[in-house]
Amino acid sequence: MTPEGFGEPQGGAPINQSALEATGLGKRYRRAWALRDCALALPKGRIAALVGPNGAGKTTLLHLAVGLLAPTTGAIRVLGETPGRDPALLGRVGFVAQDTPLYGDFTGAEHLRLGAELNRRFDLALARDRLGRLGVPLDRKVDRLSGGQRAQVALAMALAKRPELLLLDEPVASLDPLARREFLQVLMGSVAEQGLTVVLSSHLLADLERVCDYLIVLQEARVQLLGPVDELLERHKLLVGPRRDPARVGGVAAVVRATHTDRQSTLLVRTDGPVRDPALAVEDVTLEDLVLAYLADPAAGALPGPTAAPAPDRLGAQA
Amino acid sequence: MTWLVWRQHRQQALAAGIALLAVALLLVPTGRQMRAVFDDLDLGACVAAGGRAEFVAPDDDCGTRSERFSGQFQGLALASLLLLFLPALAGLFWGAPLVAREVEHGTHRLVWTQGVSRLRWAMVKLGLVGGGLVLVATAYALLVGWWVAPLNDATGYRFTWLFFDQQGPVLVGYALFAFALGVLAGTLTGKVLPAMALTLGGFLATRVAVALFLRPRFLPQQRRAYPIISGSLAEPNQLAGDWVVSRGVYSAQGVKLTPGSGSQVLCDQSIQARCLAEYGAGAYNQDVFQPADRFWLFQGIEAALFVVLAVVLLAVAVRLVRRRIA
Repeated sequence: MTPEGFGEPQGGAPINQSALEATGLGKRYRRAWALRDCALALPKGRIAALVGPNGAGKTTLLHLAVGLLAPTTGAIRVLGETPGRDPALLGRVGFVAQDTPLYGDFTGAEHLRLGAELNRRFDLALARDRLGRLGVPLDRKVDRLSGGQRAQVALAMALAKRPELLLLDEPVASLDPLARREFLQVLMGSVAEQGLTVVLSSHLLADLERVCDYLIVLQEARVQLLGPVDELLERHKLLVGPRRDPARVGGVAAVVRATHTDRQSTLLVRTDGPVRDPALAVEDVTLEDLVLAYLADPAAGALPGPTAAPAPDRLGAQA
Repeated sequence: MTWLVWRQHRQQALAAGIALLAVALLLVPTGRQMRAVFDDLDLGACVAAGGRAEFVAPDDDCGTRSERFSGQFQGLALASLLLLFLPALAGLFWGAPLVAREVEHGTHRLVWTQGVSRLRWAMVKLGLVGGGLVLVATAYALLVGWWVAPLNDATGYRFTWLFFDQQGPVLVGYALFAFALGVLAGTLTGKVLPAMALTLGGFLATRVAVALFLRPRFLPQQRRAYPIISGSLAEPNQLAGDWVVSRGVYSAQGVKLTPGSGSQVLCDQSIQARCLAEYGAGAYNQDVFQPADRFWLFQGIEAALFVVLAVVLLAVAVRLVRRRIA
């Protein structure tokens, strides 16, 4: 199956260039699938937003990537290796879990010591500096730090591993807007310094819009939309004009979302060429509009064909 | 990793140290008192002289002195039975939170995503905490062993239920078992309080089952018969320290005459006629027992049993930690 696979490694890009790669990946809890048929390949060096409503499978995907969970189906490869096999891989991946769990009765300094004891590579001085500059008191138990400071401690621990891949699960969800901005600033500064690949999850795109250059949208346990932000924006347009059948507009591959008034239609479309229709005003879309349009219609990612693997009878017909 | 284990468990270690000290503060003075009375009554001579004889005369002087000793320290001996619950604390406060607290606070996601495998995390943690537990339990067992020695010698009760459970290497086995049960319960539930409840229930159930149903049969039981009309050397020597699992009065035909499992009839010459009328000629007492010299063997068997159970439970817990959860 292929979700909206814009910009997947195009011919030639070797597979080991992916920081995170999944094929047919699925995870089932007792009853329900938390993630199904997930296929993605995240190129190195990207800052990817992993977006989707609560329960869409974001946390499951990240936990699979750090080996906290084992897949039910398919395979996942992180930096070319299978998580959970070789503990050395965990030393190359920074992970901040949801709600930034820390030991409440440990001080910030003790957390850094924990990181140094448990990792072969851990830049203690870097972490200390960073927290010092942010004014996070290292000698105080983290229970008595603010949410923003706790998040900074967790981020500093993850970054001090000098990871090649950094996975952050809803890192800013519990922070106030100021702490949010500060957190993302620190993150971006470090990313620029260390040149790593980042995956940030959030149920709100607005949190991440400014920092990410790659988008993974999960919906109902499936990958719905995937690709570099600039390509996604380039290939989607907003058409405004008199009410009409969008299928007949040249250059429109699919309509993601249509809203109509009596006289006018507003269409968010995926294009496969320039839209040439004098009756329609063509506008660029914002990333937020785009994501909301896809999220509003769980089937949208399925266009133009089914997301599931081709049904056997169809294969038969082709043969 | 060692630093982390110490940092996370130092409070528990401190609490265990304080508890050990508190117990010592109770046991040392009372133990010295028992020793003094033991020497005053010259019970040491009794143990040396007739201590191992199988039968003694009913009016044996040592028996009388032993009764005086037990009479004086009966309350203390009963109170000391509270110590039977001490090993369970290892399960409740060391075992149950070990994994459960991590899962409850989500910190397993922090510690299991550092550069140390979960297997290593579990082995180091269980090894160090379990090793510390063995030390504490051994110190405690030695302390209680010193304290209970005069009581053992003066009463001959050490092989019986509850007294057996209170001393010796079995204490280390019980503590390790409780700990392992706590770890496994915590791994299964991922919550500290339910894990503690499961640990307590499981510990008590296992202990009772082993003590009541397995221990009496670790080795084939022995029997001895003796008349209900006591002669000069007719009464089994309690001080010998045999564990009488059950006893009763049987008719000459071998039919059990007394209900329950604790009856013994010893008739003085003066009431001989009445006893004969009641039980019939040829009636006798019979004890089913484990001889005293098996005490250490039984301690070893039971300690080993609980250590093996502990190892199995820990192995299951480690497997779960490696496979499950997130």
